[in-house]
Amino acid sequence: MSAISRSREKWVLLFPAILVLSLITVLPFLQTVWTSFTDAEITAREQQVNWIGLENYIWALTDPDFLEALGRTMYFTAVSVGLEGVLGIAVALLLNQKFRGRWFLRVIIILPWAVPTIVNAVAWRLIYHPDYGALNSLLLQLGFIDSYTSWLGDPDRALNMVILADVWKNFPLVAYIALAAMQTIPGDLLKAAAIEGAGAWKRFRSITLPWIIGPMLVVLILRTIEAFRVFDIIYVMTRGGPSDGTKTASFYVYQEYFSYLRSGSGASYAVVVAGISAVLILAYYAGIRRDQRGA
Amino acid sequence: MTNNLQKKERTAVSSNPILAVENLSKSYGDLRILKDVSVAIEAGDFLVLVGPSGCGKSTLLGCIGGLTEITSGNIQIDGQDVTHTDPAKRDIAMVFQSYALFPNMSVGDNIGFGLEVRKVPKTERDEKVNQVAELLKIEPLLDRAPAQLSGGQRQRVAMGRALVRDPKLFLFDEPLSNLDAKLRVTMRTEIKRLHQRLNASIIYVTHDQIEAMTLATKIVVMKDGVIQQVGSPREIYDTPANIFVADFMGSPAMNILDADVTMDGLMARVEIAREDGQEPLILYDTNPGEGITSRPAGPLKVGLRPEALTDLGSRSVNADQQFDCLLDVVEPAGSDTFAVIRLGGTEVTARMHGDVDVNSGDTVPICFDLTKISYFDPKSGERL
Repeated sequence: MSAISRSREKWVLLFPAILVLSLITVLPFLQTVWTSFTDAEITAREQQVNWIGLENYIWALTDPDFLEALGRTMYFTAVSVGLEGVLGIAVALLLNQKFRGRWFLRVIIILPWAVPTIVNAVAWRLIYHPDYGALNSLLLQLGFIDSYTSWLGDPDRALNMVILADVWKNFPLVAYIALAAMQTIPGDLLKAAAIEGAGAWKRFRSITLPWIIGPMLVVLILRTIEAFRVFDIIYVMTRGGPSDGTKTASFYVYQEYFSYLRSGSGASYAVVVAGISAVLILAYYAGIRRDQRGA
Repeated sequence: MTNNLQKKERTAVSSNPILAVENLSKSYGDLRILKDVSVAIEAGDFLVLVGPSGCGKSTLLGCIGGLTEITSGNIQIDGQDVTHTDPAKRDIAMVFQSYALFPNMSVGDNIGFGLEVRKVPKTERDEKVNQVAELLKIEPLLDRAPAQLSGGQRQRVAMGRALVRDPKLFLFDEPLSNLDAKLRVTMRTEIKRLHQRLNASIIYVTHDQIEAMTLATKIVVMKDGVIQQVGSPREIYDTPANIFVADFMGSPAMNILDADVTMDGLMARVEIAREDGQEPLILYDTNPGEGITSRPAGPLKVGLRPEALTDLGSRSVNADQQFDCLLDVVEPAGSDTFAVIRLGGTEVTARMHGDVDVNSGDTVPICFDLTKISYFDPKSGERL
């Protein structure tokens, strides 16, 4: 009896959250899925919307441009999240050492992350500017380049330059979480490892990394999901150019919707992107569960 | 011969030491944690560093292990100067109070970690791990994770990790403090048995004077970063170097009383005041040391262990001076019965036979044994 009323109480308490989530997430998602099976377009006049089955999906999955954009997105995600992980942990190791000025460094290291993405993107666009950008000037003065370069003007290089800007902005979050996790490592563990003969690298591999791997996985999942739907930094820095060199899947969806006004087709791209994100998330969760079982 | 040995031990520097610490100091800013500490042990010694919290004993252990940078002085292990050597290269092993087992590794991998780091081949490593596991009776646990073990089992694994490498020196940092009272006694016995069996050189930190007495072949008593006394458990117990050591070592603590000491022929006459109105106690020490015979008469602090004050039934041949005393409180403790008596302006504890039939408020004859009386300077507290 009490079990039933407790179960009812649970649903009563969950109801407001379920309602809000339904309105802002579930309904738009279902709407998008439905739209993806139609030939809907965004037009000023009333227009007949026809159910066309899987046609949009067949189109999307055979569209070489979209597949390229997906590949680019995966590259962006893998490289930027990978670099953020490595750089974040490296910086956390540094900030976990005792040295003069550590507190100051710990405070200012968060600044790139505290800056809004748009501002960061504009700042890096200026840094990369071919005529008066700081990067050109710095590299020229240091003798690394002979003449000014258009960093974002080269389709083969532009995506990497955007990744650099993205890593710069997001590694502090990873570093902070890694640092917080490192600070919970009992000192005796590292001392014991040192006495057992483990050098710095072995201590990191055997003690520090396994200890922080849980929190690292969580933050890297979040970063992966964010990186996979990257849009704003691309929009501000390159608008997908030059010659589609930085056009990612989300940007492709945006263009399909709002430049070409094909909402049905755009919706199918969006569902594909969401599906891949879902797979990534599930893979990470499986990884975490395995990690927890191992611990 | 015995006297020679004692002298050698008290200076704490031996001829061919496995460990020699010379004039070691450690400061954090203005805070001096260790002050000019010198200590040495020979192979097979079980040295216990004992003292109250904050006396610097764990810091000293950390310095020996290379975990704490020293401010000045020098450390040698087996004749080699390791003052600035990396802990990994000192050929030592350490057992921590927290056990410090690596949570992400199985028990077997924990024990074999040091061997793995040293690139010992897997078959040889497994063999050694199994030997140690057998010695410590933890063979069934080798595949478990540390989180699945009880406190006592973790303790064994931590010891296994130290034993497997067969290092020159073992460091134990309060290894039994996290165990419950009963397990602590069991593990204490096991550590002693291991030491006897392996003849290992051990430095062991504890704040528990009973652990110190039961385990050590040699005890170092510390206070405020300064060594108070170095000696065998017997020496520390019978001839404490000062009032601090006398009070710290032994349970219940040594009775420290105010007394007037004068020479009466070859004997020392020890006069101890009693509660108001009563005649003072006059006791005779038949064999006073030179520190007393050459000293002008006057007030001193004297120290008597509780067992030097006892009832008629359990007295020894030396307890031949007998006075009636009022027992303030009687505390039966099974094998002994402790009684609190007011003497010399303070409370003293007498150790009586467990079966003695006395109650609080009784006045009974108490026999005094002065063969092991200690005399201390009333100002400095140093032994005379």
